[in-house]
Amino acid sequence: MSGPARVPPVPVLEVAGLRKRYGMLDALAGLNFQVHAGEIVGLLGPNGAGKTSTIESIAGLVQPDGGTIRLCEEALDRQGRGRIGLALQATALQDAIRPREALALFARLYRVRPDLDALLRRFGLVEQAERLYGQLSGGQKQRLALALAFVNDPALILLDEPTAGLDPAARSALHDLIRQLAADGCAVLLATHDMAEAERLCDRLLVIDKGIAIAEGEPVALIGGERDSVLIEGRADRPLDGLLLPSLPDLTVSGPDFRCRTTDPNRTMAAIIAAIDDQGARLTALHLGRVSLEETILSLTGKGPLA
Amino acid sequence: MSTVLAYAALTLRLNLRNAMAMIYGYLFPLVFLAAFAIIYRHDPAPVIGHLGELLTITALGGACFGLPTAIVAERERGVWRRYRATPTGAGTFIAGLVLSRLVLLLSAAAIQLSIAIVALGMPLPRDPLGLIVAFTMVSGALIGLGMIVGMLANTVPAVQALGQCIFLPMLMIGGVAVRLSSLPDWVQTLSAFFPGRYAVAAIQTAATGGGLGTAAFDLFALAVFTLSAALIAASLFRWDSGRRRADRRLLAGGLALWLTIGCMGAWMNADRGHGIVDNAPVAPPATYLRGSSAPHVGMTPDTSPAAPANGAGETPPDQSPPAPPVGKPQSWQTVTAADIGRIAFERLPDDEGLVSPIAQRGTLDDPAVEQQIARIRTALAGWPPAQVPDPVQRTRNLLAIAAVPDVLQIDPLERHLPWLVFDRLRLDIARADLPRILYWISQHPDEGDDTAIAQFDTLGLPTVSGPTTRVRERIMVYALKFLARLPTTRDDASGGTGGAMRPCDLGRNAERASPC
Repeated sequence: MSGPARVPPVPVLEVAGLRKRYGMLDALAGLNFQVHAGEIVGLLGPNGAGKTSTIESIAGLVQPDGGTIRLCEEALDRQGRGRIGLALQATALQDAIRPREALALFARLYRVRPDLDALLRRFGLVEQAERLYGQLSGGQKQRLALALAFVNDPALILLDEPTAGLDPAARSALHDLIRQLAADGCAVLLATHDMAEAERLCDRLLVIDKGIAIAEGEPVALIGGERDSVLIEGRADRPLDGLLLPSLPDLTVSGPDFRCRTTDPNRTMAAIIAAIDDQGARLTALHLGRVSLEETILSLTGKGPLA
Repeated sequence: MSTVLAYAALTLRLNLRNAMAMIYGYLFPLVFLAAFAIIYRHDPAPVIGHLGELLTITALGGACFGLPTAIVAERERGVWRRYRATPTGAGTFIAGLVLSRLVLLLSAAAIQLSIAIVALGMPLPRDPLGLIVAFTMVSGALIGLGMIVGMLANTVPAVQALGQCIFLPMLMIGGVAVRLSSLPDWVQTLSAFFPGRYAVAAIQTAATGGGLGTAAFDLFALAVFTLSAALIAASLFRWDSGRRRADRRLLAGGLALWLTIGCMGAWMNADRGHGIVDNAPVAPPATYLRGSSAPHVGMTPDTSPAAPANGAGETPPDQSPPAPPVGKPQSWQTVTAADIGRIAFERLPDDEGLVSPIAQRGTLDDPAVEQQIARIRTALAGWPPAQVPDPVQRTRNLLAIAAVPDVLQIDPLERHLPWLVFDRLRLDIARADLPRILYWISQHPDEGDDTAIAQFDTLGLPTVSGPTTRVRERIMVYALKFLARLPTTRDDASGGTGGAMRPCDLGRNAERASPC
């Protein structure tokens, strides 16, 4: 993971007041953020929060209704987009194209002349260079998508769910590649649903909901507020009456299941067990754990059981 | 530009790796070719007489199915979406796609033609360069249609449905697979709004007609259809499947152009009559007289397998001894054996060619055509133009019965009907007069009236309106061909003082088809 020491003061990407409306729905409602060189910024949020709209607006795939996007201190236009690399979740190429041909085509489209062999080596595609795209594995296709995103030696790389559907080994390999891109000075904006990925990979997280940023910071700092909390989850052998359970903060009951966040696990567990006993029920499962980033995000966006 | 070429080259390579694209692009045209060869197996020359339809269907298949399928398949996968994020504009991709499709169509047509020439014995097209120009313009217009389909359809199955919506009407009522002359007037008017009829006419003109100059309006219409389709497709352009929004100004402009050229085509059609499809010009009358220096142009022996080896459109050397100077006869009654003796029958278009064909007698094996000819024979008894007192006009009127189906290329009727006319003339016109009248008509094709042509409906034949130049030319050729078939032409014309002109003296036309 790259450290904040490498972050220069001038942002590679500056987004201010970005707005996008689809019919009656505000996908983006004045989004503001920055990404610096060498920094991996994770874009997090529930479905419909505006992550994809943000990526698409910056990539030029949709026309924003308002706001400004600046790349390296210049207003972003079609030519400016030549300095952006893009790997979409659903990037697919023609089945009959070969990786080397795809790289050569995109080099032409970006009007650059990269060392294709070096690119193939860097993204582990030397052996697959002449195979047809339709014959590549999911991981190889994603590596090719990343290679295409890097073909124009971009200042900013936009990644939308780049590891979706990959096995752990392929995901880990891609994470290493993304870290390497950032280490080489590239600014990376990564939209993901994978909280573990975001926590491990990103220098900074931007949590958005309903088209605006609701939280921003390093993963450790975001979870930090919950550092002393413990999550208690359990199940009884029959549905529980939530009203008869002790009044605890963040306690939710759903049938026989219950969840609770507490900073005093000893007393809370004792109170819950006593209440279950009073209802004539029997505890069948009980689990204590640390509050995760996912719990934190769900809590922040008001979509989760902790809210 | 280099990006366009590179993208077109890549698209071609991807097509070559796609088995289905190869089947649709190259195998289907050969299936069409085989089908045409079978359907028109009785044609005097294989395929060439229907090259317009064949190549138009080939272009239609590739443009209306192959191209939009490729577009929609790529767009569905998100390939175009990824392209959009590059600094390269949409025009580059569209130009590359159009160029690659053009190469595919041209190569498919070239293979088709090569096989037709080598394996089926198809004569060489009359104007190869014109054929390339015409086919390229046809491809352009139909690629435009394919682009519209590609922009409208969201899925590959939708391409098939939309493509059929264009393909089938174009075949059935657009003048591509069904002769316009056999369709009602309102359908002919409707066909003016499809590019198919202009495509067929332009290609056929280059293949067997009088050069692209005679298809100027067809080429103009194709160019306008191309522009119109390009505007409509551009108005509907989208990078991804989900977003469909038309640029109304471009759309309106494209539709207005389409309607305008359709109306012009309908007007031109009404003006030029009932779908005259055979525009091959015929040489002037003097060409058929020995000692004449008139150029021998517009004949069709080059389109026949039996053509002499002197090449298309060339003037055959006049190897006959020069005829003594003879004054022109002042009336048909003053035509002499010497006048008729000056006729170079060997210069006439081949009986198996496209201009004024005549089948060998007794070779008709189609009961439907036999019945049609029998109906015409019966109707002739009450046909007013066959009763006019003037024998010359009466002969002209009867010759028109052979000439109109020839011009309209109503096959195989056009090759067998001349025998009915020939027999009728021999029965109806005095034996001594007929050679003189036929000679007179052959040397004066512009005289007389052609109102008989407007009365063909009572014979069950298409009624032709508008300019009848081509019909008069064919009347002239049939007059000469019939003259060649009269067994003792010189005796009759000279009142029995000269030697009999035997069919074997009349060149290969009469040799091949003599009733004697």
